Amino acid sequence: MKDKNEGDVYAEKIKNLHAEDFQRALSEFEKRVHFDFAAFFNTCAHCGLCADACHYYLRDKDPRNVPAHKLAMITRIYKKHLGDPLSRALGRWVGSGKLDGDTVEEWVDSLFGRCSLCGRCAINCTMGINIPYIIRAARGALAAIDLVPPGLQSTVDTAVEKGNNMGIAREDWLETLEWLEDELRQEVDDPNASLPLDRKDAKILYTINPREAMFFPMSILAAGKIFHAAGASWTFSSDYYDVTNYGLYNGDDSAAGLMSERLVKSIRELGCQTLALAECGHGYNSNRWEAPEWLSQKYGFEVKSILQIVADYIRDDVIQVDAQRNQKVMTLHDPCNLVRLGGIVEEQRYILRSAAARFVEMTPNREKNYCCGGGGGQLAMTRFAKRRIDVGKLKADQIKNTGAEIVVTPCHNCIDQLLELNKHYQLGVEIKTVCEIVADALVLDSNRNSIAEKASNGGSV
Amino acid sequence: MDKLLSVGVVVSFLLSLSALIWLILKTFSFGKPTLKSEAQGEGKKGVNYAFVQGMMPWEKESAKRHLITYFSGFLYHGGIFLAAFYIFTLVLGISLPKWILLGFQIVIPAAAAAGIGLFIKRNVVEYMRSISTPDDYAANLLVDTFLILAFVHTLNPGVRPVLLLVSIIMFLYIPLGKIRHCFFFFYSRILFGIFFGRRGVFPRKQNQKRMEA
Repeated sequence: MKDKNEGDVYAEKIKNLHAEDFQRALSEFEKRVHFDFAAFFNTCAHCGLCADACHYYLRDKDPRNVPAHKLAMITRIYKKHLGDPLSRALGRWVGSGKLDGDTVEEWVDSLFGRCSLCGRCAINCTMGINIPYIIRAARGALAAIDLVPPGLQSTVDTAVEKGNNMGIAREDWLETLEWLEDELRQEVDDPNASLPLDRKDAKILYTINPREAMFFPMSILAAGKIFHAAGASWTFSSDYYDVTNYGLYNGDDSAAGLMSERLVKSIRELGCQTLALAECGHGYNSNRWEAPEWLSQKYGFEVKSILQIVADYIRDDVIQVDAQRNQKVMTLHDPCNLVRLGGIVEEQRYILRSAAARFVEMTPNREKNYCCGGGGGQLAMTRFAKRRIDVGKLKADQIKNTGAEIVVTPCHNCIDQLLELNKHYQLGVEIKTVCEIVADALVLDSNRNSIAEKASNGGSV
Repeated sequence: MDKLLSVGVVVSFLLSLSALIWLILKTFSFGKPTLKSEAQGEGKKGVNYAFVQGMMPWEKESAKRHLITYFSGFLYHGGIFLAAFYIFTLVLGISLPKWILLGFQIVIPAAAAAGIGLFIKRNVVEYMRSISTPDDYAANLLVDTFLILAFVHTLNPGVRPVLLLVSIIMFLYIPLGKIRHCFFFFYSRILFGIFFGRRGVFPRKQNQKRMEA
């Protein structure tokens, strides 16, 4: 009922925009257009070759889903309000048009509802236009006039107000870590095993997706087990530990910057050297690539995906894994923000080839992989939920074709979407994180020896 | 009259070139995005990828699925550059060896046919219509006319005045509409290469090497 009311209020808002709202949206849009976007706006030749790159278009062949169509809706506004006099003079002849209520309505439906910012169109574009980043900038213009779909906006608001996107209270977070620490001690049979909190000068500050604390605590335990086996110098922060950043999705740079700045503050206060980002695609892209730009600062500390750390542990023999302990056929789903837009491509493969006996690739894979449909804030926008499940059919078919029993993915957003696809398309698979697979394959006895050795050598990992 | 038209071609070309350079420079008035994040790969390698391997049809799923469109586009653009070169040889009074002329007589009509094919596709395919503006149709027809006239001229020099006139119109039209992508293409591919190169996505070897190190 609450959702319906929110939806009604939202629809009303779109219908009742005033001249000053359009001006505000345009000012924000102008702020976001740098020379790269200006070049892109002049480049699209409407060749249409991007159509088959988009999972929305591939699913239903609706012309509104063609990336060039979405881009043209934004280019139109650029040409009219910010573009060169030639484009302005030629008006509709060259696809220029003003920002009005109809355009805003179209923008909301297409830019939020028909795009998961996966970037597949960008790598398929003949010209190389970075379409998802332009769409994000236009989302930012909508954010400036309070037109982000309510579910997505409330996720951002919760994170800004409470410090994490699930609104987990500090005491609940500490309590969760406490019982997980007990579990860890039992699992590794070591009373000294710990999930360290606020440990000053630890080498690694580890962040999580708050959904892990609420719904998937075993993935926190898996990471803890790996760090324990590696004898790592690491810690959680009691205050800011949320790797997610839905500011990437609602397009609001100031909210996005605020969220990432908290992690920067935590790592500086604790004196850690590496910000380790949990298995979260957009969290990686946000904190590794975008946050230094949002905050306009070079960090001076490392930002790494947990996958890079674990791959190094395996390669350097810091931990030992036994692939025979994971006998089920498993496949890997590549999260767009981590792989195509993040550049973490081979680490997860190296880990799975080491820790699983029967790993098979999906087709296509790596940077060419299809989005699961859950990115771009889609999971938070209930108004587009039906579409989200529908476009997930491509991913469901990809999974089916592998014959896998387990789908591994280093992203909690993807996990949520894959869980829904699993149910809807009756895939009958288990969905796991990479760390869970590694934790299942860990050889703890020999590790304990190596930890003891490392300790005696005074080393820390 | 012929001299006037010849001068017109040169002037319209120079005007077009100046306008394109101005359009490129104008983009810089929007400011520069910061690049504070630490690179994982090399932008330079990404740019190389963008212009070589990244243009291959097997690198792009859409191109792979639409090979005819991909090769038509390739042929079309190649033919346009050849025809433009041909116009300048005419204006400057340079006579071409027969074998080069023969090459033009093969490539330019093929390019015109490809252009007409792309025009038909734009009209027939629903999603192509949905992304097209009047400029898309006009630009295509103008360039097709230019190609056809350039070809006809290799057989019948009598069409020279019409060819020069169409060339003037085409050069003047370039910066006005979509044909400006002939310049912006290079700009955008460089930006693409820097973006994905820094992030270590392309070329793929950057990523693989990191795991081998």
